[in-house]
Parts: sequence; C-alpha cells; structure tokens
Amino acid sequence: MPGALFKAAAIVGAAEANEIGFLKTPVTSLQLHIEAIKNLSEQTGVPISRIEGVFSTGWSSELCEHLGIRPKYIDTTSVGGCSFEMHVHHALAAIHAGIIDVALVSHGENGHSSRSIGGRGMGNYGRGGGVASPAVEMTMAYGIAGAPGAYAHAMVRHMHRFGTKREDYAHIAKVSRDWATLNPRAAMYSKKKHPFGGPITVAQVEESRLIAWPLTILHCCMVTDHGGAVLIASPKVAASLNTKPVWIAGAGESMGHSNMLEMDDFTATSARASAEAAYTMAGMGPSDMEMALVYDSFTITAAITVEMLGLARRGEGHLLWKDGHAAPGGKFPINTNGGGLSFNHSGMYGMPLLIEAYRQLSGTAEDGINGDKGKQTSARTCVVNGTGGSLSTTGTLVLVADD
Amino acid sequence: MSYELPVPTPGTHTRPFWEGTRAGKLMLPRCQDCNRVHWYPRFICPHCHSANLEWIEGSGEGTIHTFAVQHVAYGPWAKHAPFVTAYVDLKEGDRMLTVLRGVDPAKPEDIRVGAKVRVEFEAGSDDVHIPFWRVVEG
Repeated sequence: MPGALFKAAAIVGAAEANEIGFLKTPVTSLQLHIEAIKNLSEQTGVPISRIEGVFSTGWSSELCEHLGIRPKYIDTTSVGGCSFEMHVHHALAAIHAGIIDVALVSHGENGHSSRSIGGRGMGNYGRGGGVASPAVEMTMAYGIAGAPGAYAHAMVRHMHRFGTKREDYAHIAKVSRDWATLNPRAAMYSKKKHPFGGPITVAQVEESRLIAWPLTILHCCMVTDHGGAVLIASPKVAASLNTKPVWIAGAGESMGHSNMLEMDDFTATSARASAEAAYTMAGMGPSDMEMALVYDSFTITAAITVEMLGLARRGEGHLLWKDGHAAPGGKFPINTNGGGLSFNHSGMYGMPLLIEAYRQLSGTAEDGINGDKGKQTSARTCVVNGTGGSLSTTGTLVLVADD
Repeated sequence: MSYELPVPTPGTHTRPFWEGTRAGKLMLPRCQDCNRVHWYPRFICPHCHSANLEWIEGSGEGTIHTFAVQHVAYGPWAKHAPFVTAYVDLKEGDRMLTVLRGVDPAKPEDIRVGAKVRVEFEAGSDDVHIPFWRVVEG
C-alpha cells in the first residue's frame, strides 16, 4: 500500500548547462545554474516566470534574483551531494500540500573552473583558523584535507569486515568507464575528449596513483564543471505539458552523522533508512527496481550504497559490477551515464543522478544534448540515491516511468 | 623546533581538554546521568540529552577501529605525506581521530584493525598540546 505522497508529483524535465566537464574557458557556478534553467524552460515549455518553488543548495535567493522571479516556496537545504534528492522530496511534499504546482531544483558548480577563477568556497584548515565547531576543533590537527582521505577509512573497515580486496571495488570504476564510453557527454568518453579518457582495465585502476590508501585516483571521482536543473510538477500541470512525466513514487532522507568522527558503523550509511522510507512510500521494494543510480564519489561509496538499498547482501555490493550485472548489457544497469567516476562530478553529484534518471525513465536518453546521444536502457523503475558529506547524509528516490 | 602543523583554537567549552593535554592527561567528557563518555565534547549528552556533564581522566588506551594512508595532503601536512590517519576506539567508549605513530605508511598491510594504541602528546603551542596515538602492540 503506497504512502500518501505516492506519485503526488512528477519530474517533467531535466536539463544541463550548455557545456560541462573540464571546461577550457572558465565559468562561474551561477552561469552553470542559469544555462541549465534556461535549457530546462525551453525543453519543458514552462516559462521561468511560472516557477513557484526554488530548491537549491544555499543559492536559492541569489538564483531567484538573477532570474527575476519571486517564488512562494524557497528551500536551501545544503547537506552535501545528496541535497538534490532531498530537494525532490521537499518539493514533492510542498506540491502534495497544495502550496505550489511547479518546482525548480537547480545546481551549478564550477569544480574545475574554480581552480583558475575561484568561487567554490574552501574550508579553513590552516593554522589559526579561529574557534570552530568542536567536531572540527578535534579533527583539524590531523591533516585529512579532502573526501578521499576520509572515505578511505570506510573502505579499510569494509575490507576488514567482509574480507574483500581492493581489486573487488576496482570493477566499479572499470564498469563506470564502460558506460562513459557510450555517453559522448561524459568527461571520460574517449581519449580524444580527455587524455585519460576511454576504456580502462581493472589493472589500470589498481596501478594508478595512490591518493589515500587504499584509494587510487581511479577509485575516486573527478572534479569537473557541471550545471543541471530539473522541473517538478503536480499531476495536473504534468498532464498539460508535452514532456513525459517520470513519477516520484517514493522519497526518503536520513543522516548518520555530519563529521565522520561520529560514524558508528563505517560499513553502513543512512541510505538504508532513507531507502526504507522511499520504498515504503512507493509500496515497492528492491526487487521491483530495474536499474539504479547511486552516488559513486568513490568506488566504496557505490559498493556500500547498493548494499544499503537492498540490491545486494552486505559485503557483496561490488559483485553487481564484478559479475557484469551493472554493466552495459547487464541485467541490472547501474550509473548508466558513467557516474561521478567517469561522467561528471562537480563536487556535489546529486543533480546528474536526477538528470540521468529522468532521461532513462522518460525514454529520452538517446534524444541527445547538443547532438550527443546517450545510451537508453529498457528500465521502467529506478532507485536513485545521493550521499553527502563523509558518508553522512542520504536521500533516496524511487522513480517510475509513466504508464 | 616549533610545531608547524595546524593547531586548533580551544573552543569555549573545551578548555579542560586542552589543559589536560598540557599535563599529559586525556580528559574526556562524561555524562553524570547516564555515565557514558562521548567524543567530541558537547553542550549536551548525545546519548540521554542531559546537560550534567563532567570531565574525567581517560586511560589513554584504545584500539584501531580503521585507518587510511594519506598520500595527498595540503598546507603544512603536505611535506609529511604519506602518513597514517586512524579512528581510535577509546577504552572508555566512543572514538577519536588521530595520526598514528609507530607505523610504516609504506606497509599498510602490516597495520592491523584492532591493534592496541596509546595516547601521547606533542606541544602545538603553549596552550595546546596535540594528542597522537602510537601503536603499542601489533
């Protein structure tokens, strides 16, 4: 029996900034946002002026001002890369409550361009940073500066508990690249597109440069430029549009911790809780899912997440990739765009998950963007999971194709 | 030689901890109602939500919960890479982050989850001594 919010709204369009990836000409995060929103408006035929709710990570008021709109529902939830899955959850609730009929979820992040022009925001982990939160105060002395250094601890614990080898997880990186070679929009589509692009082997993943043992660089996502936006609408508005709706059957969110210091079980995330909420709302379970889009900031993130989503047994998540099920032509496609490992990852990857989910379930993956055609699967249901922070926060969606 | 790595600024409620470090003591916050130790220091007990908190002297003993080898680091830590970071399960309960001592970053396979560790302190400044944990038994 589905919950009250079951199919209370649909994603009715998904678009990206004009150019994404490792851009030669630097762009700002705001430009990436605005391009995606403009493209979304053209795709759906919904004028920007008709947007009633705006959901973004801390940018919402500036975005609205830039667009010249004054929405009646504003949400700036910013809890890491899963924020956008949570935004969909929040928009679903706002639409169900009758407050709004049309919601915009948007993200732009110049992860690559910020190296030359700034604008991404960096935490102060230098000497003498002033009084911080106690969690930062008690961890800032120990030199972990980035996500790889944090996530590596979870991988070691996962390997310790389940007796897995690093190579087991390397298959996730290899298969993600297989998908990317089918997607011309992927940053690692080909050697022509990027010197390190094109197919890779498990051996190459294993032998690449160490970032934070056991993570080599090919176990880690990229840092690119990306902008994306999706439009969410009530059933009534969805019925009036020419785009195909992809129904939000279930949504859930949860968190385990903020600082990794507070992670009780390094082999598990709150995706189990957010997925349970989403499955319950949908009246469906893992066995009803025909594909998955999961946050692969690192290979270990994806492995743990599919276990939490009930798609694999504990300690066996990597087998979905190793045994070929998640790969092109496999029985359970995962991360069909190439993922954060090989498609695009600007810093917070939750938006590309939504965009790919919309394309697959609306059957528009092969329509292409800027003439670049993606790879269409036959899936009619998809579980989408975003993970934010240091395996901290999660948002899960169960999306289904229109009947 | 003066300490060149990042040194935290003591917060408004964590001074007993840093005073302890200067005396070579690992002070830990404990709830007087549920008797559980928590880390990091809170304004409220995360287990039972009591505000009756006290500081106790910990044993300085623990075990490795998990670890990683940082091959890429920024700022003052950059020239120390590779180094081994670890989450340490405290004998009193809960967990601390540290940089491990007494281990070889080039041989992570020799580092054992569950190995016993002991705290030691290094002067980061006159006020703040930094806890580091050393493997005392493989």
